[in-house]
Amino acid sequence: MSNGGERREKVGAALVVGGGIGGMQAALDLADAGIKVYLVESKPAIGGVMSQLDKTFPTNDCAMCTMAPRLVAIGRHKDIEVLTLTEVERIEGEPGNFTVTLRRRARFVDENVCTGCGSCVANCPVRFIPQPLDSIPPVKLAPEVQARVDQIIAEHRNRPGPLMPILQSINAVYNYFPEDVLRYVSQQLGIPLTHILRVATFYNAFSIVPRGKYIINVCMGTTCYVRGSERLMERFSDTLKIKPEETTPDMLFTLKAVRCIGCCGLAPAVMIGDTVYGKLTVKEIPGIIKKFQGANGHGQAHTG
Amino acid sequence: MAARRIELMLCTGTGCVAGGAFRIKKVLEEEIARHGLQSEISIVPTGCNGFCGQGPLLVVMPEKIFYGWLKTEDIPFLVQEHFLKGRPVKKLMFTPPERKEPIPLLSDIPFFKKQMLIVLRNKGIIDPEKIDDYIARDGYAALEKVLTSMTPEEVIEEIIKSGLRGRGGAGFPTGIKWKVCRNEPKTPKYVICNCDEGDPGAYMDRSVLESDPHSVIEGQTIAAYAIGASHGYIYVRTEYPLAIKRMQKAIEQAREYGLLGENILGTGFSFDLEIREGSGAFVCGEETSLIHSIEGKSPEPRQRPPFPAQVGIWGCPTVINNVETLATVPVIINRGAEWFSKIGTETSKGTKIFSLVGKINNTGLIEVPMGITLREIIYEIGGGIPGNRKFKAVQTGGPSGGCIPASLIDLPIDYESLTQAGSMMGSGGMIVMDEDTCMVDVAKFFIQFTNDESCGKCTTCRDGSAALLEVLTRITDGEGQEGDIEFLEELAWAIKDASMCGLGTTLPNPVLTTIRYFREEYEAHIREKRCPAKVCKNLIAYWIDPQLCQACLICKRECPAEAIYGEKHIVHVIDQSKCTKCGTCLEVCPPRFGAVKKLSGEPVPPVERGMKVERKKKTATPLQEQSSA
Ligand SMILES: Cc1cc2nc3c(=O)[nH]c(=O)nc-3n(C[C@H](O)[C@H](O)[C@H](O)COP(=O)(O)O)c2cc1C
Ligand code: SF4
Ligand code: SF4
Ligand code: SF4
Ligand code: FES
Ligand code: FES
Repeated sequence: MSNGGERREKVGAALVVGGGIGGMQAALDLADAGIKVYLVESKPAIGGVMSQLDKTFPTNDCAMCTMAPRLVAIGRHKDIEVLTLTEVERIEGEPGNFTVTLRRRARFVDENVCTGCGSCVANCPVRFIPQPLDSIPPVKLAPEVQARVDQIIAEHRNRPGPLMPILQSINAVYNYFPEDVLRYVSQQLGIPLTHILRVATFYNAFSIVPRGKYIINVCMGTTCYVRGSERLMERFSDTLKIKPEETTPDMLFTLKAVRCIGCCGLAPAVMIGDTVYGKLTVKEIPGIIKKFQGANGHGQAHTG
Repeated sequence: MAARRIELMLCTGTGCVAGGAFRIKKVLEEEIARHGLQSEISIVPTGCNGFCGQGPLLVVMPEKIFYGWLKTEDIPFLVQEHFLKGRPVKKLMFTPPERKEPIPLLSDIPFFKKQMLIVLRNKGIIDPEKIDDYIARDGYAALEKVLTSMTPEEVIEEIIKSGLRGRGGAGFPTGIKWKVCRNEPKTPKYVICNCDEGDPGAYMDRSVLESDPHSVIEGQTIAAYAIGASHGYIYVRTEYPLAIKRMQKAIEQAREYGLLGENILGTGFSFDLEIREGSGAFVCGEETSLIHSIEGKSPEPRQRPPFPAQVGIWGCPTVINNVETLATVPVIINRGAEWFSKIGTETSKGTKIFSLVGKINNTGLIEVPMGITLREIIYEIGGGIPGNRKFKAVQTGGPSGGCIPASLIDLPIDYESLTQAGSMMGSGGMIVMDEDTCMVDVAKFFIQFTNDESCGKCTTCRDGSAALLEVLTRITDGEGQEGDIEFLEELAWAIKDASMCGLGTTLPNPVLTTIRYFREEYEAHIREKRCPAKVCKNLIAYWIDPQLCQACLICKRECPAEAIYGEKHIVHVIDQSKCTKCGTCLEVCPPRFGAVKKLSGEPVPPVERGMKVERKKKTATPLQEQSSA
């Protein structure tokens, strides 16, 4: 395409890089159109990620059922040459007319003779040894923390589905989940940390970052919203100089939007700790904040 | 209950507690003791009375005199006048805005008159923490009847005949659900009561648990007997601490009385209950998600079928019912399916609780027969819109529902008619909106909600809601383009078609209904850059009318952005470049001046700084002392 010259006629074969489901389909379509196809895959076999899936979204179709016919068709197609354990090293030329240099790694198995019996796998002395759980050093917690967490775990571990009650109790104590506590719970219950984190980050009432002593829950439910709670939120935000979901540097307040605290009759409503402030107006906000600060010896200078 | 001369039914529902009900209780007790009336007067702390907008409140039995908006200062006077001298106190009674004379009796207040109490049969008349109060009002009679004289099949047949449909939103026939579960061969089976109630603006389930927890336990036990379950869960959202506490107490009492646990009432039937808490995720109200949440799994919904009635919690057949559904069951058993099926419409039987909130005079919970019209609800029960504003729309069904416009005010409320109007019954939130509510902003609000709460499993729901939100935000910011409305509609239908659970398939409803009924509002935003309701910040300006401003200095003092210039005797002026449009000035400007105005779609008239105030003549406002003069 350089210096505006005529593009040369397209000649020869097509190269498909990657033998996942997309590459497989592309190879089939091209080959069905009468073009010779080289399907390059760096792994020992084509199939890609889809071969590891159980179902596919959103239809919940069986992944293997979608893929298997294509695997067979590619294996059979006279115009498709599958190059596994192969990577593209260099491409020269221009679209439609180019030369590709490939690097093929050794398989150490003669594909023409192998019957796929699997004996080599069973007899190979080198194994992939996963790290057993007990080789991770046990998490050390401060003694009083550990006593507390142990007590919580003991209370719930024998009921079915213990994770939620345990997390709820820990959240009630710390207002958030300290990382080492979650690691400890993971080891005690034998539940992978990734799973615990997935649950811990799903719910609005949980947090994995520390939160303030008082959580200011501004109701942003429909009723409160219609009655102007957005302005309450802004005023809290301005006065405390933090955005929603943030915590003041003195760890006293966390500002949070919640969805309906069931006091819609008193909209707009704000809940701080256990106290609900109903029919709140922006004017009252600085006073409320000062009251809580005062109760903690902060901001005395302002309250006078 | 030892009968006393006077019983004070003091509401201790969450709303009234927030308003100071317990402080009032303390003062009441002190005052009663001071006058030595302890033997004559008893205080009964009840659950939510329903008329939460009047809270904290008190009903004096046996006459049923209703006192609202109580303050601790009023109590000594009240005790002396009414309870000692027998002269009911007029100034604490309910006075509708359009009338001057207060209405003393609860039964005469229009808010209560049109209601029909089935689920809320005990609200405000029993102490929810006393099982004896419940039993005294026919409580657990239905359970006894079922266990001693009916087979499970007969129970299911009775529920099917009654026409009861699920009150959790979708309206699935309850009896059929039980039957499917009963016919599953696998055991054990479970019953779950769904009190997740994530729908913002609805709080009837909370109220039922708080005011009459035993009715739910009884209903759930009957369901368990019908399907053959031995264990049940009540899933309550963590935002409802009082409901959890009362339910826990109720379960313990029921165990003590042999109404839960092994061998209930000596009939050989065993069933026990356990409370599980949610932790603030809207999608956990969806039944499969709720099951995952209890199991401690990541609470995303899953594909149905198999339905929970076939494969539910721990892989076992499970019936999930809403609080209200279960609380209705004992009444059906007691009074018969025939009686129940006479109430309501052809397809929707019985009553439904709505939370009537938003821009309405009488805020609270109401239970009404199905088929009642919106007009009756809003004008007769609700007492109309405050401040003589115009009724614009009512939002039902929460984030899954839609906005029903004023033109459909004679719509009879049942499952089918609401669906036809593009909305949904949902769990029963009814949020009234007046002309100061911007419909585009409301749609944006709901999409923001569903976008936050989407579990993220389906692309259409997760990314589709984000795309809707982007366009809606653009429109409300005044940057809407031609074609945006059509784009919203097309995207909405794609989301409906391709999402897996009910959250995704219903989330476009608020957008679709507001476009359907309020298209011209969208167009005003896009074409004229005007917000007709004067809500969308980028499209409005605050302005002080120099003719009306009396230089009282209040707005200047309160403005958080220091955007107002003015001094004594000098007309105040808002500096538009500094104003953050917080609306404080409008709120604080004394109504008798009413000088602050909101403008939209028109240029802000320039006002010179330093203008002298034009004093209004006394005749114009004869009642008021002119301040700062
Ligand atoms: C996103 C979503 C949220 C829901 N939230 C609730 C809820 O808060 N309370 C409820 O009872 N049902 C809720 N449901 C409906 C439940 O899935 C289920 O249908 C209901 O609890 C069944 O009870 P019923 O037959 O008595 O109505 C929700 C459904 C969806 C899709
Ligand atoms: S529709 Fe939305 S909430 Fe429901 S499963 Fe899909 S992503 Fe999750
Ligand atoms: S809207 Fe708010 S920022 Fe603007 S002038 Fe009024 S008080 Fe000040
Ligand atoms: S509050 Fe109203 S009357 Fe008073 S100075 Fe401000 S605009 Fe003028
Ligand atoms: S919407 Fe705010 S308490 Fe319900
Ligand atoms: S909480 Fe008291 S009336 Fe509803």
